[in-house]
Amino acid sequence: MRHGRYRFLAGAMIPPLLLYGVFVLSPYAQAFYLAFTDWNGLSGQANLVGLENFGKLWSDPLFLAALRHNGLMLLVVPLVTIGLALFFAAMLGTGEKRRAASAYRIVYFFPQLLSVAIIAVLWQFVYTPNSGLLNGLLSGIGLPGLRRSWLAEPDLAIWAVMATMIWAAVGFYVVLFSAAMESIPADVLEAALLDGAGRMTTFRRITLPLVWDSVQVAWIYLGVAALDGFALVQIMTVGPGGPDNSTEVMGLSLYRNAFTYGKFGYASAMGVALFFLTLTLAVLLLRVSRRERVELS
Amino acid sequence: MTRVTNGVLHAVLALWAALVTLPLLWAVVSSLKTDEEIFDSPWSVPSKLHFENWGRAWQEAQIGRYLFNTLIVVGGALVLVMLLGSLVAYCLARYEFPGNRVIYYTLIAGMLFPVFLALVPLFFVVNRMGLLGTYHGLILVYAAYALPFTVFFLHGFFRTLPTAVAEAAFIDGASHAGVFWRVMLPMARPGLISVGIFNFLGLWNQYLLPVVLNPDPDRYVLSQGLAALAVSQGYRSDWSGLFAGLIIAIMPVLLAYVLFQRQIRAGLTAGAVK
Amino acid sequence: MGVAGVAGAALAGCVTGGDDGDTGTKGDKSATNPLGVPVDAPLEVVIFKGGYGDDYAKQAGSLYTQKYPKAAIDHKGIQRVGDVLQPRFVADTPPDVVDNSGAGRLDLATLVASKKLKDLGELLDSPSVDDPSKKVRDTLLPGVVEDGTFDGSVQVLNFSSVLWGVWYSKSLFAKNGWTFPTTWEEMLTLGDTIKKTGVAPWTWQGKYPEYMNDPLQSLAAKAGGMDLVKAIDNLEPGAWQSAPMLAAAEAIHQLVVRGHIMTGSEALSHTEAQNAWCKGQAAFIPCGSWLEGEQQAVTPAGFDMVMAAVPALTGSDKLANGAVQGASSESFLVPAKAKNPQGGLEYLRLLFSKQVARGFAESAKALPVVIGATDGLTLSSGLSSVAAAAKAAGPNVFTYRFRTWYAPLSKAFDDATGELLTNRVNPAQWAERIQKAADSVAKDSSIVKHKR
Repeated sequence: MRHGRYRFLAGAMIPPLLLYGVFVLSPYAQAFYLAFTDWNGLSGQANLVGLENFGKLWSDPLFLAALRHNGLMLLVVPLVTIGLALFFAAMLGTGEKRRAASAYRIVYFFPQLLSVAIIAVLWQFVYTPNSGLLNGLLSGIGLPGLRRSWLAEPDLAIWAVMATMIWAAVGFYVVLFSAAMESIPADVLEAALLDGAGRMTTFRRITLPLVWDSVQVAWIYLGVAALDGFALVQIMTVGPGGPDNSTEVMGLSLYRNAFTYGKFGYASAMGVALFFLTLTLAVLLLRVSRRERVELS
Repeated sequence: MTRVTNGVLHAVLALWAALVTLPLLWAVVSSLKTDEEIFDSPWSVPSKLHFENWGRAWQEAQIGRYLFNTLIVVGGALVLVMLLGSLVAYCLARYEFPGNRVIYYTLIAGMLFPVFLALVPLFFVVNRMGLLGTYHGLILVYAAYALPFTVFFLHGFFRTLPTAVAEAAFIDGASHAGVFWRVMLPMARPGLISVGIFNFLGLWNQYLLPVVLNPDPDRYVLSQGLAALAVSQGYRSDWSGLFAGLIIAIMPVLLAYVLFQRQIRAGLTAGAVK
Repeated sequence: MGVAGVAGAALAGCVTGGDDGDTGTKGDKSATNPLGVPVDAPLEVVIFKGGYGDDYAKQAGSLYTQKYPKAAIDHKGIQRVGDVLQPRFVADTPPDVVDNSGAGRLDLATLVASKKLKDLGELLDSPSVDDPSKKVRDTLLPGVVEDGTFDGSVQVLNFSSVLWGVWYSKSLFAKNGWTFPTTWEEMLTLGDTIKKTGVAPWTWQGKYPEYMNDPLQSLAAKAGGMDLVKAIDNLEPGAWQSAPMLAAAEAIHQLVVRGHIMTGSEALSHTEAQNAWCKGQAAFIPCGSWLEGEQQAVTPAGFDMVMAAVPALTGSDKLANGAVQGASSESFLVPAKAKNPQGGLEYLRLLFSKQVARGFAESAKALPVVIGATDGLTLSSGLSSVAAAAKAAGPNVFTYRFRTWYAPLSKAFDDATGELLTNRVNPAQWAERIQKAADSVAKDSSIVKHKR
């Protein structure tokens, strides 16, 4: 039995780990090494420069701006997305018209099917000032005063990008949360309602704690997504990353340094920083949400 | 009172549905307009349905060929990653052995690093193995990069499966492999379906990996083909053609989703409530 | 330490051994084969397939196979040249000829700094295809060789000649009785007139602010002369805050102050802005000479677009009236480590022949850099206006080099101009920001410096 156990484990795990080691781990390990060099991305030469690249990060205004924007996205995107998704999921769960609810869930999920590139191109058209959908809509409903150059005003652009992220993400979490909510035994909810608890109370006291596991998963996925944002910013925004760096994100800084400025070593250092940031965050989020779960239940 | 709130709530639900569908519908309408009409007004309805835009996207941009390439690569990678991913996830979730956690976290860490920094070293690995621009090379790389998420997702899933059935099978004399194939894998079906869906979407939309590893225009996958279309429209102003290409690229996924949405939702349900 | 080597044994094999520079084989030289092409060696050509397509490059390829029937040509027309070729340059297994153009191309300065390119001197001194008594060097428009020169060595040759100016519709102007101004003051006055008719005087490709930098830096060059251009390129202290540069920024800023720019332009992509202009929503748009080709599909009949040189900044400009910013684009290069470098050079020799150049002018509606290639062709409205502008400018064609040399500086320039055009900074603040960026590039020892 013991013998068979190890033979099975070896047979089952060696091929996938080999695949992972060769195609994922070894390239990443090299990228980590490059973070300590001055490699320009093209030459065969790379000199070790120690921690110099990491030191430069903290005096690079673009990187710091990117850090701020990713930080803002990290606060806003998961919060709003989860909030909206919980709300919609709860609504769809309580309605008696199951057919309509299922139709809504199908429709809400659509953006999940589109690649980021397609989403970015679509939303660029939505925001376009003169022939765009959004401004057209505002004029259409008699509010032409609200028309804006959404992606060209530094105060608005980052919010416009975040709105796109949220738009793209909500549907998936609606489906996720309503799946979790469906597994809550109906009699628990009925009992609470019979006890005279309002909808809000029931939601807060019963539904939310019971779906908290899913919320926690959502939190991590969305956090990782909010630390990225590269593709949307690259395709949609002025510059890209503008106007005046108001939508700069870390992925874009990294990409530009690597491919436009030929500072591959420096860009790799950004990647390493980003990696540890994401890692810390994931761990932190797990810890925090775990504690809250205890308090709530 | 409740009736009013209900009304409001339904309106909100409908509003979000409209928000989601509007840009998509608009893209469909735009793909049937002429370039001039697109720029005239976002609201205008095409004077006549210009299906030739679709034909142009299909033929000139060779969307058909890219679709075929994508199906081969994504299909192959999907089968491979589901097989390997479920094996690893199962072993890590159900067996205690030294190094278990290290392996698990090393796998998970693969999700956290920006892919484009690894691209150049990755190119060398693939090139050295003589896999550059081949279907099987792309399949291996796609599978390798989808592995972390697959393991992460299925690991949690396998952990929650009841142990009683497996134990009973062991007592009946089943081998470890037998228990995995005949007992655990079938029980994990819903989880497999949901992670399969995620992987399919992720691989279908994969862009960076093929750009570097798949240089031959005849082997382009759909995302590369669309990028080519987007570039040439940037220089030639063929917006209608671009929209048509986008719609053609979205269509198969959308159709698959609508057809299989019941199974997909069942899978998600199982996956989410682990 | 070699990068490809750092990865350890797994990767070591991808670096080709030996550093003797000349990797490729050579054939025997002769009158018909002046570059000594090995007649049966395969040739790999990678072309950026963007707005100009790649038919002209295929034509050069077929000339090559006619001449060397035993040679197999592997032609690839692709979009993101850099993504595909970067690892191959690192591994020193590049193709034999590359058209390094378009968004996502390889950074030329980095390629040069890493010594990845072959010196093209041998090609330039070889006899041209059309007239063997003339060297290839002498069949190219002035400036082409200089554009491709880095520290005394010619490393790229650009195939298309580009002039930058201001575009308008001849028919729209005739209908309204407007004439293209000769000084910026007149431009502003005309703008006021145009505005009254309900047409916006200007629009621009605000999503990519560099489009407005061209008229701005043209005005500065005209006012300040070549001394200013060189001071900017050489990162001289205070160059961006010098009087002519400030005056040019002020001139462009006047468009904003006077409300001459179409609302929303700052958020428009190049295609969106150009289409608005083609629909007559705005009278002027800044752009390079590729505009006509780019707009082919959406230009209304009878629009008659023409390009004019940017007007003079004042009556006392240093450069002659009609001076125009010009450079060449579609950068062709032969990698230093090409397997068949002589074949690569020979391919370029055939590419820069009149026959191929002519085909390019007809299909891409752009000017090739080969002298006399368009003689006898009936040029379209836009292309003939570009040719006329080139003729009027004569030797007064100027170009800035800092964009290719110092990418971080050009980003700072673009960002600042975006802000200037939305009136969020004034010209003085604009100049201060860019000067700061220029100073920090000058100070940064990790950036290779160039002089002119």
